[in-house]
Amino acid sequence: MLMSACLFAAAQKQPGVLANTVQPDDKAKQTSAPDDGEKRFEANCGRCHNAPESLSPREARAVVRHMRVRARLTAEDERLILQYLAP
Amino acid sequence: MPIISGGVGFFDNKEGGANSIQPVVAPVVLIPLGDRWLIESRSNFTEVYNRQDGTTGAYQGQFFGTLEYLQVDYNVNSALTVTAGRFLTPFGIFNERLTPIWINRFQDGPYTGTIGTAGGYADGLMARGGWDSGNGYSINYTAYASTLSTVNKLESERSAGGRFGVFFPKTRLEIGTSYNQSLQGARGNSEGLDVSWDPYSAPLDVKGEWAHAPGGQGYWIEAAYRLSQYRGSNSAIGRLEPLIRMEQFHRSQPIAGDFLPGVSERRPDFGVNYYLPHEVRLHASYGRQFNDQRDSNIWEFGVVYRFLFPLWPGRD
Repeated sequence: MLMSACLFAAAQKQPGVLANTVQPDDKAKQTSAPDDGEKRFEANCGRCHNAPESLSPREARAVVRHMRVRARLTAEDERLILQYLAP
Repeated sequence: MPIISGGVGFFDNKEGGANSIQPVVAPVVLIPLGDRWLIESRSNFTEVYNRQDGTTGAYQGQFFGTLEYLQVDYNVNSALTVTAGRFLTPFGIFNERLTPIWINRFQDGPYTGTIGTAGGYADGLMARGGWDSGNGYSINYTAYASTLSTVNKLESERSAGGRFGVFFPKTRLEIGTSYNQSLQGARGNSEGLDVSWDPYSAPLDVKGEWAHAPGGQGYWIEAAYRLSQYRGSNSAIGRLEPLIRMEQFHRSQPIAGDFLPGVSERRPDFGVNYYLPHEVRLHASYGRQFNDQRDSNIWEFGVVYRFLFPLWPGRD
């Protein structure tokens, strides 16, 4: 599970690469259009770091609240990124 | 749920033949309260081992413990968060965004990374936030005022300033400008410009800053390219990330205690990071430092582990 979470996290860091990769998780990404939360994550958080490998919903709430302050996210960004990290 | 996150690192630095070994622990503690409040802190605990006579002799260690921020945040509305306490001085992009050891791609900071930051930390009040214009760009801002503090581990200078940025999400291009005024001593001003570009079409990250202070001015620009276009980001090659950074600082006048190099310097760095599974990153780099007194080679090697745990057990 950790490995698949890592693949997932690494894929977020290279959003532009998704169409050219052969990793199983990346292939799955090619077939589904990114949602708003993923877009917001890529546009904001992914510019500096990968997503944590695994987050419970309660951990995700603390992390995204922290990043709202750090990265000056809007309330809408916070809501969508939280939905994306801990659906 | 309160959590503890952060990084653990082990670094080796060899500058002009003098070796230095640094184990580092940098914990971040997050305590959310209700829907709007957050208490957060980050500390840095470093033991620096140097040889007794610079390049020879036994290693001797010196401990450094720093409280980098301990702040209370209140989300007033979607575009405004008010912060009180000790925080990272908001000037440019390096001090606030890139100083964590698990984020900074090179081990050390650029020459100009301290310009406008009054030592890196401020004790006081800050307002920050951002909003989407609805026209393809968003605005972000930070404004702060800091008081003079001589309390041990909580030192800060009386200063005020902030940063204003414009971000274009479709191209992931951000441009910002910063201003800082010292309100004690010589009362000098600092100004800065920063840029960050992460195109969607390639795993490329470009960041740079120019900054001017009473003691001098300089710039740094850094580019990193993850080789994930070769068999995916989790292939042996795809985990590699070559890096390059160029920086220059021009000293205009000597000012004691301004955290800047004493003489004009320039330095190119070339490095590579390797991203292992489970949040572990390996780093190696070579740099050459040029100045009027003595040129030197700088070799750096390191490993960083990023962690995140709940502070106490809880149900989701």
